[in-house]
Amino acid sequence: MRTGLVYTETVVHLAPERFAADVPYQVVIVKLDDGGSITARVDGERVAIDDRVVETGVRDGISFFRKQRSNRIGPP
Amino acid sequence: MRPVAIIGAGKTPFGAFPDLDLRALAVAAGEKALHNANLEPAAVESFYLGNFAGPEFTAQNHLAPYISTALGMTGIPSTRFEAACASSGAAFFQAFMGVASGFYDVVMVVGVEKMTCQPTLRVTEILAGAGDCATEVKAGSTFPSLFAMIARRHMHDFGTTRAHLSAVAVKNHENGALNPDAQMRKVITLEQAMNARPIAEPLNLYDCSLISDGAAAVVLCAADRARKFSERPVKVLGVAQASDWVALDRKTDITTFAAARGAAKKACEMAGLGPGDIQFAELHDCFTIAEIVAMEDLGFVARGRGGFFTAEGGTRRDGPMPINASGGLKSKGHPVGATGVAQICDLVQQIRCEAGDRQLKRHSVGLAQNLGGSGATCVVTILGGF
Repeated sequence: MRTGLVYTETVVHLAPERFAADVPYQVVIVKLDDGGSITARVDGERVAIDDRVVETGVRDGISFFRKQRSNRIGPP
Repeated sequence: MRPVAIIGAGKTPFGAFPDLDLRALAVAAGEKALHNANLEPAAVESFYLGNFAGPEFTAQNHLAPYISTALGMTGIPSTRFEAACASSGAAFFQAFMGVASGFYDVVMVVGVEKMTCQPTLRVTEILAGAGDCATEVKAGSTFPSLFAMIARRHMHDFGTTRAHLSAVAVKNHENGALNPDAQMRKVITLEQAMNARPIAEPLNLYDCSLISDGAAAVVLCAADRARKFSERPVKVLGVAQASDWVALDRKTDITTFAAARGAAKKACEMAGLGPGDIQFAELHDCFTIAEIVAMEDLGFVARGRGGFFTAEGGTRRDGPMPINASGGLKSKGHPVGATGVAQICDLVQQIRCEAGDRQLKRHSVGLAQNLGGSGATCVVTILGGF
């Protein structure tokens, strides 16, 4: 699973119809440890800039990330 | 390349006009500009239309000849330009080159958008089409959310605050309240602006520009012939367009727009001017944070200082660098495809001393910055008196 740092984030309160059921939802840009960036959604607790996150999976073509637990062994 | 002048300008009021369709709006603005230029439609040699999403909003396509023929122009080249919210800025740039190159003597540019015929959620969806649909939009990004992410990072990097963002809204509403053509002529307090309902955090309702119908038009002419038509022509001192990635996540630093910096540099070089020579500006405040980033990209303030400068009153009408004396997209309204030319009309009005209660003291050199999407297109135009 991909890992990285939250570069920026927002919580969306007004969304087009296809996402209306998800509101409010958090969107993030993650700077990936392996290079590049990805716009993704967040699973679980809300994240902030500079939080370490790990990808939890891809659903309906959308990547989801969650906050990485501090005791987890992973890249620096 | 030869000098180019604006000899006529005209626009409709911005707002929600259920009885006016896209063509009626465009024709109304076009006729005003022709009248302002003392020109018959037959004198126009080429027609440039700026429009973002007419087909999505209204189902009508092939819009340029659809409008130019209704304005009484037949047989001439008539083409639509699309560059998201910078559509009519891009059309203006092409029109300028048509005259500057010597190919045409007289051309017309119209910008138009008809948006209020669609419900808000559908409008949000259509606007999202100016983002990267395969990545950021697919993940649930809306335009407010893209600028919200820019705001969040700007706050993190430079200490910009919630109150700084709202200071932009308060100032623009104060200006718009004096503009008879503005959509929302309403003064708001800082408390109101800070506590409105959230749209995409940290942005709230008062950080976002409006959903609008409207059109704007200008007539361009070779500068040496301008006085034949107009007693008060305005000179195009510089104009430039630049581009960047559409997806926000492809940009290395989202607190600055490379396309805005690039277009500003080229336009200033053409004009032989620096940021300190610009006396007033119309900047693309699609969201409050966009005005803050724009004033930094244009070099009016140092990186990261835009919010502080705004909160100190630096951009008010009586401040050292008046920004959006028209009310901006925020209060005047933002019919997407009309905005670029509407900003140019606002500069013309100030330079000609026709801005009424909003008239600025220093008004001989003005700059318009028209941004498309989350910075993938930017057009910068500098105008001055003859």
